[in-house]
Parts: sequence; structure tokens; C-alpha cells
Amino acid sequence: MSRVTRRIALGIGAAVTLALPLVLDSGQLSIYILLGLTAIVTVGLSMLMGYAGQVSLGQAAFYGIGAYTAGLLALHGWPPLIGLVAAPLAAALAALVLGVPLLRLRGHHLAFATLAMQLILLSIADNQAWMGGSIGLQGIPQLSLGSLEFDTDMSYAYVTWIALAGVVLTARNVIQSRPGRALRALATSEVAAESAGIPVGRYKLTVFALSAGFAGLAGGIYAFYLGYVSPGSFPILLSVGYVVMVVVGGLGTIWGALAGTAAVTLLVQLLNQLGTRDGVPGWLPSVLSYAVYAVLLIAVVLYLPRGIVPALVSLRRRADS
Amino acid sequence: MSGLEVSAVAKHFGGVYAVRDVSLSVADGELRGIIGPNGAGKSTLFNVISGHLAADEGAISLDGRRIERLPPHQRAGLGVSIVFQAARIFRGMTVGENVMVGAHRTTSAGFTAAALRLPAHRRDERRIAAAAHAALEMTGLSEFADRDAGTLPHGLQRSMQLARALCAEPSLLLLDEPASGLRAAEREDLIELLRKLRDTGLTIMLVEHDVALVGRLADRITVLDLGAVIAEGTPGQIRDHPQVIAAYLGAAP
Repeated sequence: MSRVTRRIALGIGAAVTLALPLVLDSGQLSIYILLGLTAIVTVGLSMLMGYAGQVSLGQAAFYGIGAYTAGLLALHGWPPLIGLVAAPLAAALAALVLGVPLLRLRGHHLAFATLAMQLILLSIADNQAWMGGSIGLQGIPQLSLGSLEFDTDMSYAYVTWIALAGVVLTARNVIQSRPGRALRALATSEVAAESAGIPVGRYKLTVFALSAGFAGLAGGIYAFYLGYVSPGSFPILLSVGYVVMVVVGGLGTIWGALAGTAAVTLLVQLLNQLGTRDGVPGWLPSVLSYAVYAVLLIAVVLYLPRGIVPALVSLRRRADS
Repeated sequence: MSGLEVSAVAKHFGGVYAVRDVSLSVADGELRGIIGPNGAGKSTLFNVISGHLAADEGAISLDGRRIERLPPHQRAGLGVSIVFQAARIFRGMTVGENVMVGAHRTTSAGFTAAALRLPAHRRDERRIAAAAHAALEMTGLSEFADRDAGTLPHGLQRSMQLARALCAEPSLLLLDEPASGLRAAEREDLIELLRKLRDTGLTIMLVEHDVALVGRLADRITVLDLGAVIAEGTPGQIRDHPQVIAAYLGAAP
């Protein structure tokens, strides 16, 4: 794609993104916000998995840390903006501390350890009175900036998608740089990366913290948007979903993370609507979303092992040549 | 004290010594050949110098600075560049990007500078691009810069690793059998390049199976056998050394 067509495509994309909240109905708008929040998390996870070669099955824990940080600060009378800034910082800090022991593990071991981390954090949140126990935090005030109140879904849609744009830009800038090349290098050969002077451990920890920071930011917006967070808001299923989205979209591309997130989120929503019709048993929606993750993951690994976006890109290349 | 100083270094795996009591000093700007039969400990010695294996005993200093306790990335930071015998390439990256990674040690822009596109990022990117360009040129890989590194034939992957090491502007270059698996023409190109590098004053250690090749290039040669130094001298001295002949031919001295 030439520079000009890329610019035009980006411009159209931005225009559509900004126009969508104006035309969507309220149900669709909440899905749109959820989609944006999810994409913020998956872009970070894609950097961790696709560029640094590390798998996290506990990414929803960092989403939760961000949400609780923003919620607790706001409930204790801090300005919402402070909460929104603190959310990604707290999540990144948690990742730095937890990452020191966790990142000694690799591959499946790391995946299981991050899963265990999330279970432990959920159980802590469940039992701590100051975190609201299993009921969680309620009555979190709306996001506001001076006299500007964010009290409509539409305003949260813009906050979310502007945050997503910032996250995508940050991720892109990091990937196309000295530290980004270092990350991509250590993903395939840690020994050769060390020989080039890359402090492998520190870089892994940094990208773990960065991806957690993105998740924390999304969690912070989520807390203000819903006004309510509880341990039940951050199930393991959420973490699994993030990994599926990244894999479906294609590891190692930011656009893959976005495409995977959109495809999976919309599919799950569609099945949810089918599953919540009259006369359908109440357990069906959650069974369906587990099933759709499983089917998608198997189908992609079997037929598009590199994910949707890389497959489309190579198809295009073949058509061009 | 400049150059590399290895004193009484030992490395064992279980009860077996791969390297024992090895001492050698390589002067600044010297090209030192390391030869020896299979299992003599040549690659182990290199890994102990580069830090990928920790020495069990002994000391290593580079330009007067003790390095034997430093992790590999810090030794690389001080200018030790190693080219492994097996091709270790960064998959999913272009040849140019693979080489650019080599310049990591000479630059410093981190995540914040990159994310915010600060001046430090731009300055380093220019510097990295220039260093990579020079390294690609020197190794004859310029035309492959945009190719996916995984699609290169084996010989060119080896050259690419050398380019990556050169892009780091090393003060000590460790080459582990760079000529193995190369065709005759590629081998001549490599010899030409190593001569050129030696003439720039770069300190080089060359492990090589091909004794004739080492003899053509090296200022001095160290011979290892069963993990220990059995001889050291100029190529002429080594050729006539009875112990070396014995180690290679397996004859009784």
C-alpha cells in the first residue's frame, strides 16, 4: 500500500470511528464502547505475545487492577482524572512486581502462572472489605474534567476510542524503533539478542508492564463508564477471550489485534442475542461464548495459523504479483 | 592493559572439563586463530568469553576490565561480539532489521523515547540505519536488506550474522567457524573481508576447522586439545609443532 492510500484509508477509518457513536442506538453504543476497551487490552497483549513472544492468560487481572484503582480513588474523593491516570500506572506497577518471578517462566508455564495470578488476585478481591468483597465497588462517580461531565454513553465512546488511538500510536511507535526491534529479536532468539547487548529480562519485564498498563487504562475507563466493579467483572473467561482475539486476528500485527477483537466481540454479541431470546435456557449464553472461543481457536490454528490479517496480507501480495 | 586477557579459566560439565586452565592474551588489533580437534573446547572457550557460559574458575579481562562475572548482554555492551557457529537469526524480521539489532549496544533510545518520538529516538534511528547500511555493504548483503531473513540461503544467513556483529562496532569479534558450510567463492570473500577487518585494527578471535585458512589469516595461533592449550605461536611455528601434529594425526609423540 502506498503512503497516500494508507493516509486516505486511515482518514476514512478515523472519520467512520468518530461518526459511528452518532448513529448507533444505545445497545449498539455500549457494544461499541466495550469493543474499544477490549481493543485497548488486546493491542497490548498482541505486543506481549506477538512481538515479545510471551503469553499472558491473566490479562484481565490488569484490567481489573486498573478498574479497582480508578474506582477506589474516585470513591475516596480523588478527582476522576487522577483515577484515570493512576489506573494504568497501578496496573503497570503490579506487572513490574509480579513480573520479576513470573517472567522466569516461559511458554505454557508462563501462561499457567499468569492464570494462577489472576485467580489469586480475584480471590483476594473477593475477601477484602476495603475492596468491597464479592459485592465490589458501587456508585463510582462519572468521569469529569473540570466542569465537563462525561455522563452520556456517547461521551464514553469518544473517551474510549481516543484512548485506543493513543494506545495504537504508542504501540506502533514502540514496535518501529530500537526497543521494538529488540523485542522482536528476543522473541525468536534470546541468546542472539543477548549477544547484541539486549538486556532480555529487563525488556520482557518492560513490555509486560506496558501491556498491563494498557489493560489498566481500559479498566479505568470501564470503572467510570459502568460505575460499578466487582470480582465477577473480571473472570478468567475474559483473559481467555483476549488471547483468542489476538490469535484469531494474527500475532505480530496491531491491525490483527484490532480485527480479531472486532470479529470475536461481534460474534459473541450475536450469539448472546440469540442465547437470550425467550424460551432459551439461561446457561446458554456463557456456554456459547466458551464454545465460540474454542471453535474459533481451533479453526484459526488449523486453517489460518498466522491469523486473519497476515493471511489477508499475503493473499493480497500474491494477487499483486 | 588493552586487548583480551584470559587467565587460568576452567569450565566443566559435571566431572568433565571442557576447558581447563586456559590462559591466553590477545593484543589489541591482533587476529588470533584458535584451532584444535573436535571436542577440544574451542566453542566452550568462546562461550565463556562471551558470557553465555559462566567460567567455573579463572579471570577474563577486556581492556583491563574484569568481565568474567558480567552477564552476556553487558559484555556485548563493552564490545564483545560473537558470531555463533549455528545460524541464529531473528525470524519474522528483514535482513536489514536483523543487522540493525546489532547496533543496540551503541545506542540508548528506550521505550519512552520511542513511544513519544523524542529527539533521542530520531538521532539513534539515523545512527542505527547508517551503521546497518555500512555493515550490509561490507558483507555484500545490501541487495537483500528488505528480504525476510528466514528466506535467505544458509551461506547468506551466516554473512548476516557477521553483519549484525559488525554493526555493533565491536572491540573484540569472536568468530566460531565462520567458513564452515560455505562454498569456495563465499569462502574467498570471507577471507578477503576478514583481512580488511584486521587491517582496520579490530581484534578478532577465529575458531576454525580449516587449519590452512587460519594459517593464511592469523597473526598468532593457539592450539587447544582436550580443553587445554598445547601450543601457541605464529602460523609457521604451529605448523611444525610436534604436539600439534600429534593431536591432529593422533600419532604418539
